[in-house]
Amino acid sequence: MTAVVQAEGLTKYYGRRRGLEDLTLDIQPGEIFGYLGPNGAGKTTTLRLLLDVIRPTRGLVRVLGGDPREPGVRSRIGYLPGELALEGRERAGEYLRFLGRIRGGVPASRIDELAERFEADLSVQMRKLSKGNKQKIGLIQAFMHEPEFLILDEPTGGLDPLVQQEFLALLREVRKSGRTVLMSSHVLAEVENVSDRVGIVRDGRLVAVEDVAALREKAVRRIELHFDAPVPAADFQGLPGVRDLRVEGAGVRCTIDGRPDALIKAAARHTVVHIVSAEPDLEEIFLTYYSDEEQHSARQESA
Amino acid sequence: MLAKSLRDNRRALAWWTIGISAFMAVYLSVFATVRQEPETYGTMAMNKFPGPLRDLMGGLTDFVSGAGYLQSVVYQLFVPMLFIVCATLLANRAIAQPEESGTLELVVTLPVDRRRLVLERFAALALALLAVAVVTLAVAWTISVAVDMGVPFDRILAAHTGVYLLGLLFGTVALTVGAATGRKMVASAVVGVWVVAGYVVVTIGRSVDAIAWLKWVSPFHYYADGRPLYEGLPVGDYLVLLGATAVLALTAVLAFDRRDVGV
Ligand SMILES: Nc1ncnc2c1ncn2[C@@H]1O[C@H](COP(=O)(O)OP(=O)(O)OP(=O)(O)O)[C@@H](O)[C@H]1O
Ligand SMILES: [Mg+2]
Repeated sequence: MTAVVQAEGLTKYYGRRRGLEDLTLDIQPGEIFGYLGPNGAGKTTTLRLLLDVIRPTRGLVRVLGGDPREPGVRSRIGYLPGELALEGRERAGEYLRFLGRIRGGVPASRIDELAERFEADLSVQMRKLSKGNKQKIGLIQAFMHEPEFLILDEPTGGLDPLVQQEFLALLREVRKSGRTVLMSSHVLAEVENVSDRVGIVRDGRLVAVEDVAALREKAVRRIELHFDAPVPAADFQGLPGVRDLRVEGAGVRCTIDGRPDALIKAAARHTVVHIVSAEPDLEEIFLTYYSDEEQHSARQESA
Repeated sequence: MLAKSLRDNRRALAWWTIGISAFMAVYLSVFATVRQEPETYGTMAMNKFPGPLRDLMGGLTDFVSGAGYLQSVVYQLFVPMLFIVCATLLANRAIAQPEESGTLELVVTLPVDRRRLVLERFAALALALLAVAVVTLAVAWTISVAVDMGVPFDRILAAHTGVYLLGLLFGTVALTVGAATGRKMVASAVVGVWVVAGYVVVTIGRSVDAIAWLKWVSPFHYYADGRPLYEGLPVGDYLVLLGATAVLALTAVLAFDRRDVGV
């Protein structure tokens, strides 16, 4: 199967300002890819390149096996711009129908169904829509023609928690039907539950691509174990993956890197009365692993 | 796409049509009075405008005949300018304005070829302006009959066609600059400078040898020099206007096709 996105050495300069440098990335069909990075990292730049809104300075990009310049390729994509602008006296519903016609026809029932899910009012003039309500219209237009590939630039921006849930539910349906999604975000927490892989851009460079499952294994977890009697510290020292160990009487506190297996087995030799394990914070991994590139490459060398 | 552009502009179109019609109605209905006292008004017009200003108004040599009045008041300066402003504003709505406001980003990701997008927006501009031209032509003709100007319909048609072509040409200038730069201020400025310079060159400038040759690049030369209101359709001149419009439109298509949108 051909990759949905194939980028090779993709580079974009805005004049002398760097937008994106040397991006090489493949996204496979059926994958949900979370694209993360701080402000100004180059996320929007990447997504715009994939849609031929802007043109690469260097490098190659193919989407759905073709050149995004071809209208035929773009008709198979749903796009939510990061800075969605909707204005004018036109009613949202009218605009959606217009977009649907250009994309080869979208049944009115489909638009209504999505509007209902997002609780979007389609009879409002677009200039009178609030930010979040604009975002809903943006989501509806991206999903309504059931495209093979969805490119969503900060899709949850401005949405209230209920609508965010609905959006995530919609994403899961999309994943189930085998379609592909590329979505950008600032925070991992927002995408980790639906993404298969995440990539991180920083200063225009893709600094890491990780499997979310693998990332979970790397997760730093704080664990507290309480026993019915004091335990010897020696039993817990030197266990693989265990760091910051503190043994105080009948209590053991530590953080673990990756699997808790060794720790659990060591603990099983005593009587455990209580265990506290904080949810792994993937965000923290990013901060520790990728807070700067130097540290990252140092880690790779030692590994 | 085309229908949508027209629909989006219908409000602006209606207002412009009403505005230009009202302008003509007010000025042309005064003609009845002017004709009753040709001496007074003729000399008054001459006196009111000192030398160069009179040139700017097209000479004002013939203010009291039907054709002369129509030319001086309607077709010399005011109505062409109104058309040009209207065309420029409409043209800015095609590319530059939506690009600046950000709405164009989603539009260029639709499965429509960029070249086709520009062509359709150009077609929408041409049609919208045509609608304004047809209605205002009807108004001009109706009033000129009502006040008994004695100018035949085909002459008014010839002059009005010129106004339309002139407006379309400058509108296309705005469209092209907008398509190439994405900036409506730049587009408006280019039109503004070209209009003022072009108009001055064919009026005051015609007696100044040093700049007289510049008339060849002034669209007003091709509009007014054939004196359509007196002599009928100047086919060659109008074809020049049309040709220039076509070249500009093509430039717009090519320029937009190779450009980043929204940067
Ligand atoms: N139109 C432009 N002209 C000049 N520089 C630009 C332009 N658009 C983006 N940039 C620069 O390119 C870099 C990447 O910007 P981009 O918009 O892709 O970031 P982003 O990751 O989407 O950020 P955010 O999270 O704030 O949306 C930034 O340094 C930005 O200043
Ligand atoms: Mg962005």
